[in-house]
Amino acid sequence: MIYLDNGATSFHKPAVVRQAMLRAMDRCANPGRGGYPAAMAAAETVFRCRERAADFFECESQQVVFTSNCTHGLNIAVETLVKPGARVVISGFEHNAVTRPLHTRKARIRVAGRRLFDWENTLEEFEDGLKAGADAAVFTHVSNVFGYILPVEEMAALCRQYGVPFVVDAAQSAGTLPVSLKKLGADFIAMPGHKGLLGPQGTGILLCNRLPEPLMWGGTGSESENQDMPDFLPDRAEAGTLNVVGIAGLGAGIGYLQHKGIENIYRREHQALLRCIKDLQKRGLRVFSGDHQSATISFVSNGDCEKTAQLLAESGIAVRAGLHCAPLAHESAGTLETGTVRISFGHDANPGQNEALYRAIAKIAG
Amino acid sequence: MKNDWLITFRSVTFAQRGERLMKQEGIFCTLQRTPRELSERGCGYCLRLRGRDAMAAVSLLQRGSLSFGKVYRLSDDGKPEERTL
Repeated sequence: MIYLDNGATSFHKPAVVRQAMLRAMDRCANPGRGGYPAAMAAAETVFRCRERAADFFECESQQVVFTSNCTHGLNIAVETLVKPGARVVISGFEHNAVTRPLHTRKARIRVAGRRLFDWENTLEEFEDGLKAGADAAVFTHVSNVFGYILPVEEMAALCRQYGVPFVVDAAQSAGTLPVSLKKLGADFIAMPGHKGLLGPQGTGILLCNRLPEPLMWGGTGSESENQDMPDFLPDRAEAGTLNVVGIAGLGAGIGYLQHKGIENIYRREHQALLRCIKDLQKRGLRVFSGDHQSATISFVSNGDCEKTAQLLAESGIAVRAGLHCAPLAHESAGTLETGTVRISFGHDANPGQNEALYRAIAKIAG
Repeated sequence: MKNDWLITFRSVTFAQRGERLMKQEGIFCTLQRTPRELSERGCGYCLRLRGRDAMAAVSLLQRGSLSFGKVYRLSDDGKPEERTL
């Protein structure tokens, strides 16, 4: 299988991830609960990953909260910052992981910046939204459908300028582009562990610059007599037993990225992207590309997008079609009716993948 | 061991951060559960270290702005006595 669905999850994980998980399964009991060696080994495994993530995302280790996925982290962030009926500015390329929690709270949503790959439009409309009055802002770093890299540093600066707390959804950027809590100054940055960070599914990270409201209540291994959740990080947002085996894998994934260098991985993915754009355009397909694009690309096929993805699957190519849980992004790009076929490269991008994709597309097109 | 010192923390993460700080400075310590009688709100971790390192350890935590609980010296019969450094 030629795997080109890294936007959904990274599939070919480095061997060290599996090894770390097996080791944890053999050696680790419950972290932060006991004092015997297996419990302490678990606590050490978790803390090592916390430290590694803190180093990678430029923050303190206690600011790293482990979640079960990016959506979990976004829900905690929204729960903390968005009160019912609050005014919230979002970009035109948000995922349902952002829009559904906001709708549930009946937030008054203002969508800012709907033009793909257009930083000027994004920033102008975003600032208008903040100026008009906002209680919070939530925006993605990279569109999961089109790979549009939003000008998050500038957006963060605007939020700081207008005194608006904000959340960054780093679902598609963590492990691929530099993400720094210190530089962005975000209140929260949420990310999955299983995409660019190369960890297993069931892992995620929420970087916290403020004390979050809990989404779950329960045991933390600390202050057991206190019937409220602890008022300190990371315990406040980590009720219940952590996914130690998954966190061990996530730590190994981050270690792998630190060793390889994300700039090297990005270069490799970008080369694959550029060639893919050319190849698709050569076949006369409508391709969404532009400046500020990560290694994700969407195209509109001549037939039904799901049918195209199915035909590609039959040729051994794994891609994702449809609305990608991001109807707002499709609405912004005018593809809500048709959907798109999405190709997303990963850390193992190579010319062989491009060649196989090109052959398969040519075969489908006849 | 008797005459060791204990520094308590609110959570395992804080205690681990303390442990890292000590190790960086070459102060030997072990991370362990806080004795029940010393964990004011129930469940916690502490660092156990030698008496000669206690002052340096507390000063290190203060310099690193790392929140910790109380400091105890274990008496000859192993009983903890709270100390202020």
